[in-house]
Amino acid sequence: MIDTLMLIDDENLFHLVFEDACSLLDIAISVEALDSSDKAAEMFKKWFPDDPNHERPECVFVDLNILGSSFDGIEMIRKINHEYGNGCVIGIISSSQDEQEIEKAKLVGAQFWIIKSDDIEPRLEEFHKDYEGYKNRTAPFKVYR
Amino acid sequence: MIKVTEHTRNVLLEVAKKRKVYVEGNFLKILSAPDGDTEFEEYLKICKEKDSDKRRQRLEVTKQVQSQNKDLEQAAKENVRVNKQLEKALDEAEAAKNKAEELLITSKAHFRNTEKKEKEQNQKLTEALKEAEQAHEETHRLRLEAENAKSKAEQDLSLLQKKTQTELMGNIVRVALWVIMGVGLLTTALYVFVMVRGLDAKIIESTWSNLFGILLTNSFSIIGTIMGVKHATKDKE
Repeated sequence: MIDTLMLIDDENLFHLVFEDACSLLDIAISVEALDSSDKAAEMFKKWFPDDPNHERPECVFVDLNILGSSFDGIEMIRKINHEYGNGCVIGIISSSQDEQEIEKAKLVGAQFWIIKSDDIEPRLEEFHKDYEGYKNRTAPFKVYR
Repeated sequence: MIKVTEHTRNVLLEVAKKRKVYVEGNFLKILSAPDGDTEFEEYLKICKEKDSDKRRQRLEVTKQVQSQNKDLEQAAKENVRVNKQLEKALDEAEAAKNKAEELLITSKAHFRNTEKKEKEQNQKLTEALKEAEQAHEETHRLRLEAENAKSKAEQDLSLLQKKTQTELMGNIVRVALWVIMGVGLLTTALYVFVMVRGLDAKIIESTWSNLFGILLTNSFSIIGTIMGVKHATKDKE
């Protein structure tokens, strides 16, 4: 089970869905949901590399388009991976299936892309099965459709 | 995983039994029962079931709300689209109305101009008609005058002809009378001369007498002819 998981998504209702789904599927012990990539960036800036207690989450799910934020999910991943330090499993969770965006996400170091829909649980379950591979950096990039 | 102390375990079980309050949330995922403590294991199982039920219910409700929100967003987008269309249609209608008003104004002006022109034309036609009538009357008057002049001229001509004829007849009568009188006088003078000289007067006597008879007859014949011609001419007039 993932110890700490962070969701960055502007849709507050999806926070509840995601938290409940993760809890029911025993995916994560704790889920922290943020509605802005700016807030997340501030936190990661602090955690990497100065945080000795490693308060940073184990895994991060980022929405592609985050309304009200300075940058989108792909830029968020790029910042976490290349500016603040590469230390967590990270990927996109979005309703978009745009192949160009998926390629861009891959290039900045995203490990997975989960298509967001009403029935999110089967994809999260599948992701959970593959999680160890992502953690060990052995699993290839995957899109959960 | 966290293993609870004896005291905590007892408190949790007590609260669950008496007040039906159970541990909830992610904390349950890190709690574990002491080895062999089936009662607390059962408690944790119940807690997890209750937590899962609640989460499942909340998940369903949240998904419903999310779905409704999506529908509402879609409806709002549709409303915006319809409103835009309505606004566009309204703008178009307004533009069409303005255009129609402009056309109406132009048509009215055109109609007024046409009406004015028509009135002017009618006035001109009336004037032309009046002039034509006047011209017609004038023509009629002139024709009458011409006819009168012609008639007068004809009368004058006739009068002139009559006068000429009368003069001619007068001249003829005068000449005829002079001839008759001359012949009569000459014959009479010759008869007187013969008688005075005592010459043979037999031939001259009968000649004089015949001549007088002829002269008188011819004179009356001439007068009669003239009177007859005059009378006939008068009837024709």
